[in-house]
Amino acid sequence: MAARPDSGDVDMDDAPTSHQPEVKDDTMVDDEGDEVDEENEDDDEEEEEDVQRVKLLPGSTETAASFEFANEGHTLGNALRYVIMRNPDVEFCAYAIPHPSEAKMNVRIQTFEGTTAIQALEKGLRDIQELCDVVTDKFVGAAADFAQKKAASS
Amino acid sequence: MDYDPMAMDDAESLGPVVKISQADSVRVKFELQNADISFANSLRRVMLGEIPTIAIDLVEIESNSSVLADEFIAHRLGLIPLNAEGVENLLYSRDCDCEEYCEHCSVKLTLHAKCTGYENMSVSARDLVPVGDRMNQTLGTPIINDKDGTGPLILKLRPDQEIKLECIAKKGIAKEHAKWAPSAAIGFEYDPHNKLRHLDLWYETDPKTEWPPSEYAKWEEPPVEGEPFDFDAVPNHFYYNVETAGNLPPDGIVAEGIKVIQQKLAGLIHELTEGEGEYDGPRSPEYHSGPDNNYGYSTSYGGNGGNQSAWGGGGGTTPFGGQTSYGGGGWS
Repeated sequence: MAARPDSGDVDMDDAPTSHQPEVKDDTMVDDEGDEVDEENEDDDEEEEEDVQRVKLLPGSTETAASFEFANEGHTLGNALRYVIMRNPDVEFCAYAIPHPSEAKMNVRIQTFEGTTAIQALEKGLRDIQELCDVVTDKFVGAAADFAQKKAASS
Repeated sequence: MDYDPMAMDDAESLGPVVKISQADSVRVKFELQNADISFANSLRRVMLGEIPTIAIDLVEIESNSSVLADEFIAHRLGLIPLNAEGVENLLYSRDCDCEEYCEHCSVKLTLHAKCTGYENMSVSARDLVPVGDRMNQTLGTPIINDKDGTGPLILKLRPDQEIKLECIAKKGIAKEHAKWAPSAAIGFEYDPHNKLRHLDLWYETDPKTEWPPSEYAKWEEPPVEGEPFDFDAVPNHFYYNVETAGNLPPDGIVAEGIKVIQQKLAGLIHELTEGEGEYDGPRSPEYHSGPDNNYGYSTSYGGNGGNQSAWGGGGGTTPFGGQTSYGGGGWS
């Protein structure tokens, strides 16, 4: 059967990319008319300034979730994957960059009962932060030692 | 066999270790131990591409009678390393409230040279003069490290030729354009004896004689002849060689690199945790889904009650309905 232009099919562009409630969704079915739409446009502009950096992808549950990171790549992805995988409460963690020309990075986390994927993600982020702190300290310490040794030998 | 979870990865439980083997004004060579390759690589990547520095981004040419085209000169100007000390206080132009650029998000430099003698004249980075208000007196100044004190050569002028232009230097990162790279090069190496076989060395007759050992080869145990391959081995010692282009001190590049990772993480943690209760972060539709929760139900898929959709209800008006030539409204 040929689809008519005003068919109920949803365009690719209109299909939700995330399960998260967007402001848009609440008013989308409202046939109230233009007023609402204008309001939405304003909201969208404001949102653009403060881009959401992590998104939960559709199909996620509490203990098994996929996250989409905007503007991140292997720099964060691989380190995060490793650190989350080291968490004993995590059953599975992997990351992927679905397409090289899209600045997006996906992380899949599956946890055992007792913790949630979001908690595991947060713990992972904090663990890398801690690691960074330690490496900074060690580097600064090593640099100071080196300078001292150099001064002593000359 | 007893399995002690605390005994596994004992190297890592010691925590990371940093050893510096060489450090001067242009480079720092150091070894990072007991960290995972993923973190080591993050540090390398971030130092290469994501540390903010300052570089010339806009060039307004007032007069150019040299043999080089305007755009050619503009490109060369962009690549001149500028001192990035204090760049953290400079705003990105896109975040600034100003129209195009201002003293909060840029540094202005001018270049005016005319060859008045009888011999060709060299115009170099030294001749770029920062003007106007600046954050501090070093930010945006061209780096001059050579013996003659001229800095990189920009162009040459024949007698009577003149160049006059104004440059706007802005803050940016090397991921956008390599001119913002703080490092001239970053050496990164592990496993100098290739014990892990991450490398497949090309050779004509014998890789041992054709591939000279790395300078770090003596830091690690050479492989024993006939030693079985260790399948559990992971790289644990990483050798960096961070060489600066002059805009940041080499140890500053390492410190800044870690800072950039930290900022990335802090931003994400903030987004994940901001406003507990009135939760704004990622959330799935299955979360706390009570009866009053209408996520998923209010989409355009079902919201109009179905009956008014093009597929439903008024089926009789489709071209296949009653008025077709097939049936005249009934079975025949």
